[in-house]
Amino acid sequence: MSVLRVRAVPGGRSPGPALSASAGRTTAGWLLSLPALIAVGVLLIIPIGQAFYYSMTNWNGITSTWVGPSAYLQLFEDPTFQRVLINNGLLLLAMPVVIAIPLGIAFLLHEQIWGWKFFRSAVFLPTAISWVVIGLVAVRFYALHGILNGLLSDVGLGFIKTNMLGSTHQALAALAITLVWSQLGTNTIIFITGMAALDPTLAEAARVDGASTPRIYWRIILPQMTRFIQFAFIITVLTAFTAIFSLIFVMTGGGPDYGSTTLEFYVYQQAFSQSAFGTGALLGVLLFVLVAAISVVQVRVLRAKT
Amino acid sequence: MARRSPSIGSPATDGVRAWAFSNLLVKRRSDGKDANRVDRGLGPRAGRRAHARCLRVIAVPDQRQRLPEDHLTFWENYGTQLSLLNAAKNLAAAYHKLHPNITVKLVNQPANNYFSLVQAAAISRTGPDLAVMWTGLYLPPYAGILANLRPYIKQSTFDNIEGLQWGADDFNSSKAILAMPVDAQFYMGFYNKKDFAKAGIKQVPADWSQLFSACAALRKVGITPIVYGNGSAAYSGEFNPWYDFSYMMIGALPPSQWQGLYSGSIAWTSSEVKSQVSHWHDLFVKGCVNSDALTDTNNVGQFVSGKAAMVTGDGSWDVGQYSQQMGTNVGAFVPPYSTSPQHGVVYFPGDAISVLQESPYKQQAADFLAFMDSPAGAVQIAKAGLIPDISHYVSTNALNQQMLDFVQKQNFTVYPMLDNVTQPNIVNVGYQVLPAALVGQTSVTSALASLATKHNELPAGQRSTYAAYFTG
Repeated sequence: MSVLRVRAVPGGRSPGPALSASAGRTTAGWLLSLPALIAVGVLLIIPIGQAFYYSMTNWNGITSTWVGPSAYLQLFEDPTFQRVLINNGLLLLAMPVVIAIPLGIAFLLHEQIWGWKFFRSAVFLPTAISWVVIGLVAVRFYALHGILNGLLSDVGLGFIKTNMLGSTHQALAALAITLVWSQLGTNTIIFITGMAALDPTLAEAARVDGASTPRIYWRIILPQMTRFIQFAFIITVLTAFTAIFSLIFVMTGGGPDYGSTTLEFYVYQQAFSQSAFGTGALLGVLLFVLVAAISVVQVRVLRAKT
Repeated sequence: MARRSPSIGSPATDGVRAWAFSNLLVKRRSDGKDANRVDRGLGPRAGRRAHARCLRVIAVPDQRQRLPEDHLTFWENYGTQLSLLNAAKNLAAAYHKLHPNITVKLVNQPANNYFSLVQAAAISRTGPDLAVMWTGLYLPPYAGILANLRPYIKQSTFDNIEGLQWGADDFNSSKAILAMPVDAQFYMGFYNKKDFAKAGIKQVPADWSQLFSACAALRKVGITPIVYGNGSAAYSGEFNPWYDFSYMMIGALPPSQWQGLYSGSIAWTSSEVKSQVSHWHDLFVKGCVNSDALTDTNNVGQFVSGKAAMVTGDGSWDVGQYSQQMGTNVGAFVPPYSTSPQHGVVYFPGDAISVLQESPYKQQAADFLAFMDSPAGAVQIAKAGLIPDISHYVSTNALNQQMLDFVQKQNFTVYPMLDNVTQPNIVNVGYQVLPAALVGQTSVTSALASLATKHNELPAGQRSTYAAYFTG
């Protein structure tokens, strides 16, 4: 920049003042940015660095002993950790459902079906409820003598008696279903907003040309919604991996066995229940890497498609 | 932290008081009595911190001095354990009556990460003066933040306490005392007498076969034999399996061999352990246990109402509510998890209170603890339905006395709580896998293998002898 400016100085005047003004601006720029840089460094970079350092130590919150990178290898050999990773993977399987159902609802609301104003508010309600309350209601819902079994019995399906939260294999499914329900409002609103921002002339032209509503939805609207789907996907993955601690805490406590323990919950168990803060930091680093990797892959896949 | 009123002490006198306490702390360390804490890292800094703090107190009148009266802050994690909470409230009120210038302020903290909170608060010097701690091997990880009570409390007070060693360094009561027991606790089963009569059960089951017979009889008359759930737990998740597991190990091993589980000379996957846990799982298989054992939150209600005849995963802390709600209809029994008649009982001061190393008012806090374990304090503890941890105590509560009689009259072999003498990491794994093993959500072999794996991962210093754990 400064070289270009020197060349642009007319009349063979000395480049001195322009250079010094530019240097002054640069200095001022750095000085003005400095508080923000310090804040980011102190509050973000250093703690991340510390977390990375402590992830390779045996740290009980008071004293730490260096273990080294072998801490990572040991963790990957731990069958409980493997189980926890699988749980996170299984939770990912719920993501298409978390996207598809709100997308369908958003389309219906966008089409202004009967009572759409009421349903738009109703569908957003779960977003206003805290995870703890959702968890407590879910516990009552899934309990052996709870609402779900009551409903099944009422429709003549009493022979299907479930105790999902008491089953190693079903507890995670119960959590996933609750997550789908709780994300319904947020994702629907994202998609309604997206659909409202689309150019309506394309859909109208297609309709004039005789395209059916599902075809318009599938061929015209959905392709234009990619960036909203991408955004909703990332938000939902982040929520599923890093924000449903209270839901797990209230609903299952991570059990039975480790059947519903996710990486996020395992961080808590290790660090705050067992005071193994070193392992907690290690798991935190892995969780960060995992979420970052999923987000990058997802962005690349969708970018390639568009 | 202790709060002071301007009417009681000016900043200058407060400073002198803090100075005196900090000197005490440093002197104690120079005596070498707290050498173990120096090794743990916090110790050497604590004296300097206390000096720094008292200098601050002299120089700057802080927030504490603006509060209306002296008070000791007391953190507890009792949650829904009402008897313990009531005992703490009773003690605080009675102490305030005796010492009107001191208020013990109870602060309830979440049970699930309670110890991490205490530790973090102590390190950041925002901790309480008094904090509930658990005895046995739950204590050593936090020894660095706890004060040795020996310089502050008379030996005669210590002499009256049962099982003081479980709150002491190296489990040796002649060494530093880190925690004062609140009450004598029993892991215990309770049964509904009317339900037993209805099923024609004349004798309380004393071994596995009698228990299975009693289950069959109860099932015949439509009563759930044993109910599990987390209705009385202070933390989330499933029922606490260590109450039952303690009795399973009583049925398998004499007290002298329990350290074998700790050291690894008796593997968690050994045949004697596996056999006991398999019997326990059979309780579920044969319908002796409620099918929603992992998720039931109304187990106490079901027992009190007579829908279930027994609770086994319970303890003396629930006597208050059972006595109140069931009167003479409830009896205590040792869970009969043994092939021969069970003759051991878990009798242990599991709950204790410590003074934090960083408290500038250790003497006042220790005075409160001395009061707690005095005859006057015992009255307050008994009023809450608990058993004061005083030698040869005789309870006026029939159910409590029935439990004491197992030790005092029937000479049952006394065992500690298994979870208090097992490495905390293994205990945590047990919380996760053992309830699932009872109800068949995981196999007995797999659950025990998880315990064994965790044992193998422990540093060598934590799997040789109990004493090594403290120094290790």
